[in-house]
Amino acid sequence: MSYKERSIWVSLAITLYIWFNYFSELYWAIQQDSLTISSMKSALFTVVTMTIALEILHHIVIAIIDNKNTNYDEDERDKQISLLGSQSAYYLLSFTTIAAVLHLLFPLMSQGLVDILNLPSEYAIINIIIFGALTAEVTKFSTQIFYYRRGF
Amino acid sequence: MAKRITNNIRRLRFDADEMTQQMLADVVGVSRQTIVAIEKGKYSPSLEVAFKIAEYFNVPLEVVFQYQ
Repeated sequence: MSYKERSIWVSLAITLYIWFNYFSELYWAIQQDSLTISSMKSALFTVVTMTIALEILHHIVIAIIDNKNTNYDEDERDKQISLLGSQSAYYLLSFTTIAAVLHLLFPLMSQGLVDILNLPSEYAIINIIIFGALTAEVTKFSTQIFYYRRGF
Repeated sequence: MAKRITNNIRRLRFDADEMTQQMLADVVGVSRQTIVAIEKGKYSPSLEVAFKIAEYFNVPLEVVFQYQ
């Protein structure tokens, strides 16, 4: 497994771990009817700090384990795989953006979501965008791993 | 049956004093995993890399890669 591929696996694991925590926290807050703007802000702050801390830790650990390849530059295959990953992520992110715009233009279409979250509409939009960005990120990493494993 | 690109890199490396994949990767300027993928037919390299490989082994391009 190359340095790049190993790095993608770890990033995928970190992303899934952090966002699973965020959405499970959100889910339990909704279940207990205790979801407030401040609790959501605090959950988002945790996501940001954990992402920064874990990504730094991830790069340090990988650099220690595989110090020979730390300064390894992407070659043409890495760049192509990276592009394929970004391409699939782009479609999902575009879809999410459209969904957020539709939510703004036609609030009735997503009234159910607003009722469930029990938060002002802008927070529903934030969660639509966050969910889309997360799905896009996971799709990007998964696509890259798929092409590293299967070839193209 | 659809045609595909095959290659003789494994044999050419063997003939070149059992050159390692890492050595070839360093010469061509790609990672060892990319050489592995090319040898297994999992990745078709760019023309530039293909020519570099052929140039290194001092053989025509069609000796290294075939479209069949």
